[in-house]
Formats: sequence, C-alpha cells, structure tokens
Amino acid sequence: MFRLGLRLVTSGGREALTRLTLTVLAVAIGVVVLLGIFADFHAYQKTSNRPSWESTSAIQSTPSSYAGVELWNYSENIYNGQFIEQLDVAPLGANAPVPPGISKLPAAGQFYVSPALSSLLSTVPKDELGNRFPGKQIGLIGQSALSFPTELAIMIGYEPQQLEALPGTIAVNNIATSPQLMGTTNIYRDAFAIGAVAVLFPLLILINTATRLAAARREERYAAMRLIGATPRQVNVFASVDAVVSALIGTLLGIGIFSLLRHAIADISFSGVKFFYDEVTPTLWGYIGMVVIVPIAAAIASLLSLRRVQISPLGVSRKASRPKPGIWRLIPLIIGVPFFLVKALEIPSQTNTQQGPGLLIIGLLLIMIGLVTSGSWLTMQASRLMAILTRGASSLLAARRLSDNPKGAFRSISGLMLAVFVGSFIAVLVPAINAAQSPISSNSLTNVLRVPISLSPQDGASLIHKLDSFSGTNVIPLYVNPALLAAQSDSANVGVPPGGGKININGSGPGPVDDSVLSCASLKLLPVLGKCAPGETEVTANAQQTLSGDNPLFINKSLPLVNSNSQPISDNLGSLDLGGLLVKTSSSDTLEKVRTFLTTYTGSADDSIKGGANLSAWQMGDIEPETFGEVAQIRNNDDTNVGRVILAAVALTLITAGCSLTVTLGGSLIERKRPFTLLRVSGTPVSVLYKDVLLEAAVPLVVVSIFAAGVGLGVSIPVIRALLENLAPQAMSYAHPSLSYYLAVGIGLLISLLLIITTLPLLNRITQPAEARFE
Amino acid sequence: MNANGYILRAIDIKKDFGMTPALQGASLDVRNGEVLAIMGPSGSGKSTLLHCLAGIFKPDGGEVWFDGKRLDKLGEEDRTRLRRQSFGFVFQFGQLVPELTAEDNIALPLLLNKTSRSEAYKMARSWFKKLGIDGLEKHRAGEMSGGQAQRVALARALITQPKVLFADEPTGSLDSLASEQVMELLVDLAHEQGSTVVLVTHDPRIAAYAEREVMVRDGKVSSVQRKAGVVN
Repeated sequence: MFRLGLRLVTSGGREALTRLTLTVLAVAIGVVVLLGIFADFHAYQKTSNRPSWESTSAIQSTPSSYAGVELWNYSENIYNGQFIEQLDVAPLGANAPVPPGISKLPAAGQFYVSPALSSLLSTVPKDELGNRFPGKQIGLIGQSALSFPTELAIMIGYEPQQLEALPGTIAVNNIATSPQLMGTTNIYRDAFAIGAVAVLFPLLILINTATRLAAARREERYAAMRLIGATPRQVNVFASVDAVVSALIGTLLGIGIFSLLRHAIADISFSGVKFFYDEVTPTLWGYIGMVVIVPIAAAIASLLSLRRVQISPLGVSRKASRPKPGIWRLIPLIIGVPFFLVKALEIPSQTNTQQGPGLLIIGLLLIMIGLVTSGSWLTMQASRLMAILTRGASSLLAARRLSDNPKGAFRSISGLMLAVFVGSFIAVLVPAINAAQSPISSNSLTNVLRVPISLSPQDGASLIHKLDSFSGTNVIPLYVNPALLAAQSDSANVGVPPGGGKININGSGPGPVDDSVLSCASLKLLPVLGKCAPGETEVTANAQQTLSGDNPLFINKSLPLVNSNSQPISDNLGSLDLGGLLVKTSSSDTLEKVRTFLTTYTGSADDSIKGGANLSAWQMGDIEPETFGEVAQIRNNDDTNVGRVILAAVALTLITAGCSLTVTLGGSLIERKRPFTLLRVSGTPVSVLYKDVLLEAAVPLVVVSIFAAGVGLGVSIPVIRALLENLAPQAMSYAHPSLSYYLAVGIGLLISLLLIITTLPLLNRITQPAEARFE
Repeated sequence: MNANGYILRAIDIKKDFGMTPALQGASLDVRNGEVLAIMGPSGSGKSTLLHCLAGIFKPDGGEVWFDGKRLDKLGEEDRTRLRRQSFGFVFQFGQLVPELTAEDNIALPLLLNKTSRSEAYKMARSWFKKLGIDGLEKHRAGEMSGGQAQRVALARALITQPKVLFADEPTGSLDSLASEQVMELLVDLAHEQGSTVVLVTHDPRIAAYAEREVMVRDGKVSSVQRKAGVVN
C-alpha cells in the first residue's frame, strides 16, 4: 500500500509534479526560516548563558593560604561609544585561578586582548586608546571569555602591590561560572519569544497550506480510487504518504539550503551584536526534530483536511457548505478599542496612572484577539466592496474568489495581521521613548564628557590645568558644596543618601542642600546647563543626576542645573574640592585623547599603577568618563534592539505570508486550470487572468497589512501617553516610525508581491489554449 | 465570408503532437449559418480539427480561412481577439468559473469586451428565461445540475453574438433528456442569432441535430453527409 502511495506521488503526470514541486519548495522555505530562528535563538541562549567571569566576587573570609588567590580589578572603559571590558589581575600564588579564554595569567607588564580590540589597538593612535593599557600584548583572549566576536576585552597583568592600591581591587580564589543576568536579558528573551511566535505561526500555516496544495484535484483522484475498490483507510494511507513524502523532501531540501545560508544567517545581527558562527546552529536535535515533526505534522494536516470531505466512488462532496464569517468576530475589537479611545482622550493631568496601564493592557489583549478573529470577516467585506466598486472582469473574478472563501484567503495571512500590528506598535513606541530620552543627545551635551571624581583643591586645579592644555577642550568644573560636607558630617545620626546628593537634615532645615558649586562664567560654555542671576559669580546646583545618572529621562529632567533662583555662594572656588568635570571637546579624536588621559591620570606622582600611583589623591567614580551621547545611546540601543528583533519578525512574517499566498495561488491555479483555460480559449487575454491572480493575493495582503499597521500605530498613542506623560511630559512626542520600520514593511511586502508574481508563468503555461483538453 | 458562402475553410491542414500525427491533410468548408457536426471515433482528430478551425491551434501545414482572412497566419494576440469577438465555445464540462454566480459567468465575456457593468448584467439576465433557468442567477456552478450549468455555458458562449459557435461534446456529461434539451436550445438560439455551429461529437443522436455531418478518420475528413444522403 505504501509502495503504491509512493508511486502515485511520483507518477501523477505533469500536474502532480508541479504540485509536488510547489509543495517541496514551500516546505523548504518554511524549514529554512524555522531553522534560522532556532539557530539564532540557540546562539542567543548560548551567549546569555555564557559563564560570566566578569561577575567574579571577592573571597568572603581570610584564606589560610594565598597559593590559589589573586588580586582582581574589573572595570569598563569606553572607546568611541563601545564598551571595553578590562580585567587587571595579579596572582598572589602559583595556583591562582585563570579566567576563561586564556591559558595562563599575564605577568606584570603583559596583557591579552580580544581579537577585535587587538585590531583596534593596531589602527588607532596610542594617545587615543593604547596608552590606557600598560604593557605588551602576549596573546588573544579566546571565544570562551567573549559574548560575541566583536567584543572589546583586555586582561592586564600587574604586580600585587601595584594592584592592591587600585580602588575596587578584590582578592579572589574562584572565578564565577554562572551566567550574567543583565536587565536587558529578559527584555531580549521576551522580544525573541514574541518575534519567534510571530514568525512561527505563519510558517506553520505555510507548511500546512503547502501540504494541502490542490486538495480538490487530489480528492478527485482519491474518489476514482474508491471507484476501483480502495477502502477509506487505504485512501487515508495514500493521502498520508503523499503528504509525508513531499514534506520530507521539502525538509531535506530546506536543511540543505540552510546549511548553505548558515554563514549569511550568522552575519545577521538582530540584537545589535553578531553571534559566533559555530553557535548559530539549530543543533543536531533541531535537525532531527525538523525531519520527524514536519512530515508528521503534514500527514496530520492532510488527514484533517480529508475529514471535511466525503470521498465516495461517485465523487467528492463537501460535508457542509462553508459558513461565512459572522459579525460576532468583531466583538473583541469593539470592546478593546474603547479602552484606548478613553485613554487617548484623557487630559494628562487627570490620568489615573494606577488604572491606566491596567486598562491599556486589557484593551491591548482584546485588540490582538480581535485582529485575528475579525480578519476573515474584514476580508469578506473588502472583497464584497471590491465587487461593487470595480468594473473589470479581473476584479470581478478576484472579488468573487475572495468572498467565496474569505476564511481560506485570510488563513494564509492571519499571522501577518498580528505581526504587523505588534511591529507597528513597537515601531512608534521605541522612537517615542528614544525621542524623550534624546534631548541630551541632540543638544550641545552630546559630545560632552562627564567625569565624576573626587580631588583635593590642589589636585583638582592641576587636573583642570592639564585638561585645558589639550587644544579644542573646554572644562566646566563642578566643585563640592562646602555646605554639603558640613551637612554630611552633621548627619552621621540621620544617615546620608547613597551617593550624596541633596540632604535635608531632620527634614526641618532650611531645605535641601545642593551638592555642587559652579562658576557662572563657565556656564557660558554650555548654555544648556542654565544661567545665573545677573551679578552672580558662583552658585550652587544639584548635579548628582547629571554626573552619574544613567537614565536620560531623569538627566533631562534635572536640566538646567542653574537658574535665576540658584543660591549664590561666596567661597573661593580654588579652596573647594573638585567633585566632577564636564569636558567639552571639539572632535572625536580629542575626545578619545582626553578620555585616555583621564583613564590613566594619577595625580601629580610619576610612578605608575595604570600609569601612576598616587591614588589617594585621585579617585575616579565607578562610572568611567562617558559622553552624554553615549549615556543616551546605551539606553536607546536596548530599546532599538528589541524593536529590531520585532521588525525582523515582521519582515519575515510578511515574506512568509507571501510564500503562503504564492503556494495557495499555485494550488488554486492547478484547481482552476479548466475554467481558466476555457476563458483563454474564448479569447480572454492572459493579462486579465494575471490581474485577477494578483488581485486575489495582493488585496488581502495589502488590506490586512494596512489595517493591522493602522491599528498598531493607533493604539501606541495611549500607551506612549501612559508611559511618558509623568516622566517626561515636555519631551513626549508621537514620533514617526523609524526608517527601518518602513523598510521592513516595504521590503517584506515587495518580496511577497514578487513571490506572488512568480506564479504568473505557471498560470500562463497551464492555461495555454493549445493545451486545452475538454473532451 | 467568401463568395461561395463559406465562413470557415480548412485546406489540407496538418497537425502533429510530437511523433503522433493528429491531422494529415484535412480539408473542410463550413457554410455561413449552417450547423455542422464533425464525427469520428476517439483519437481520429476531430477535436484537433475543431481547435485548428477556432484558432486555438496553429496547424503545422495547410491553410485555415475565416471570413476571408488567413486565420493560421495571425499572431496569438489577433487570434485571441478574434476568438473573443467572433467565436463562442461550449465544451463538455469544467467551463464555468466556480466562484462566479451564473449571471457573473454569462456577463463575463461582455465585461471583457468593455461593455458597461449594468448593460452586461442586464443582457446576462435576459438569457435566463430564454434558457428556462429562471431563478438561478445567483447560483454558482456547484449549486446547479449538469444540464443547468451547460445552459449557462451556452448563454455565455452566445451572449456576444458570435459568428461561429464551437461545441466540443457539449452534452457528453449529461443524461439523454438534458442532452436533448441543451441541443435543442443550442440549435434554436444559434439559428435565432444567425450563428454558425461547428459541433464535435461521437454520438449520432447529437449529430442528428446538425444539418450536415462530416466524418474524420485518421486525421482526414473522409466523408461529408447531408441529411438527404452522402455527398462525396
């Protein structure tokens, strides 16, 4: 029976071969995309779960022996917006643990670097980067210590007495092996999950559609077999063999194509960084799963489709006529949309922020459900409207075809509805959040370096003098407010907020104490910081957020630091400790030179640890010198990367929908070969049929995309309001989606339409009047 | 139409399908307004002859004339236009576009000829009574019997008032009663419109509706019969 089934698959003539080819190709495309998603997800998981040597912590108690102990100082550095992981290490004994990626600890004066940093060091002038790292390169850090191929990392060896004096140095006897959990890990994982589900659903539909191609013609053949004595069970076997064989060939072809494309897939950077090539794999289990699951799923889909028809020796009859989609399908949308309208029409000051997000989330879920349920009803209405409004024969054919089976027409693109909705929603949300954060990156602070430090008046003056000697730099010093120091010493009993900042002693004093003092003259260099009242020379300000905050929304809110109400102060600035610097530079080269100088600056002494050693005089905070532009960029990158993953899913979904439509069209052409051929015989130009086929596919694709995009863009407005109206009302804007959104949707649609066009030669060939056989 | 009153002429036409010869020098004249039956056993070449006469196939040799013009010399585009404007077709089955209603199917050729939508549907509806299928305007192919579907196909073929109606086994899928009804309608309506009918069949009862019969054997027109008797 199986052998007969196999023969039927392979020897059904040209039509069967066309059907088999279409099925195989569609399954192969689905498998390639699925394997790509699995491979990227595997690489992402592998990267996320990499043992994080960077999270190594100090020994908790004094060890009995120092043989297995080393001094360890991990810090992060920035070059041109990219983080550099820096490990300064000094062994205290022969068995000191070795971090992953290197074979032995570097001796004092030696270092290992990652391949990307090695190449950067060889091309960038030393005073912009190389001078930050004392010593000589002795090797490269291996993949096991890196998260991605372009990561910048360095491991530098020191003498223990040098490193001991460096702030932040700890003693370790064990290097961390657990993965690092960053704040963005879950965001990426969720984005990946949303993206994967958004693509997975249409892919399953594609494979399902492909294996049920030209079902009607196949069913006629099964009816003929019933006529010659085949039992229903035997028909099921034939149908299963047919589906399994085509799905298996498609799966194997897909695996072959994926193997050829793996390098290209590894080069695609969804989360902002590329993965290591050998980690971009669906794994052996992924391949095996694909070979087993896809054919089984195809067989099940084929058998389920047969349940809907009665195949008897006298022919094929549908068990029931297809019910038209009812208007009830709009109910979730009708309930969900008002939640958003109510929210959108609210006046910000009246917003109840406790209730708002809850209503939004309920409404959002209802709208997403409503989009999927209402799709076939909308398709039916759009096709009816098209039949009424259009005049030509092509549009009549297309409209009737669509309204005859709107569920079938929508099935191929149902995944698209949700993906375009989510993509459009994110595409407006991310730029709006980025725009709210961006004032610091779009104004004159973008390239200003902020340096939180603590220096004595003399060392502070010396540092400012040295920075002034760089051509193209302007320095705005922020001195420590003596009132703050006095308050801190008085507040031993009441506690000091972490990181200093405003202090209000006993809550009943004259008011919060500003942490910094600024010269009014220096403010003219950066007008965004504010302006003193006329006649003032020095004023106090609260610069804590500006100097060390990592959320651009809060930094924006803290500006301007100074205004006409700022408290004047009469102290001599030369007598105040230096608490921070803002350094304005004229070019990126100068910026990196200044950053390199600051990274290695050690006060007035000449001996060196990180170049010098008088650390008591010079302490840089935990935050490395970074520009405000970089602070904003780090935040924006996280949001943008999430958006990028979702948009990639949208583009993939569009293309997958295009594939589904193409396969469905191919199948429907085979089924309509006779009437279409007769139309051509009767003198219908083939261009009329081309137009019909294009309309049948393009109308639902375009209508659904526009509708889903419109709803996605619309519902994003109340969400933006709910998120931003309290945090940054002045910066709240409804930014246009980014260019990448338009590109993702545009290219996705274009590829889909091109795929659909590929069915036209098939249409032309199978409906040639000369091939007509009607007798 | 030429001076002898022939609307269609096939002169010594030949047609092969690969190694298989289908027509080997077939000649035939069709008079304007007549109903001609082409008969012959399976594989004799009768359908191929009809397809050559209708401009669906280009013969490999010989000449096909329609209304005084060499049909076999026309390009695909011109033959397509000619078929749309001057010919009508009825085949055995599978002719109706399944998603379209009966009136859509009948109106379709007019819409293709750029007739206005309202006019096309008005003309289409006028055929239902004539064909005895009143009330089926909104029905689709799957919702009609074989005889009803064939009548819709007949209306679709005749609505453009073609000069020639080609029918290839038009009742092949119908029972004898439905066959008779369809053939009566076909012949009556063709006469009413002044259309010539070229009918391919292997059924003598269907051929009996024709005014003249020809026999095709081994790719040649072997005999021409009038009702009254053998002519040559």
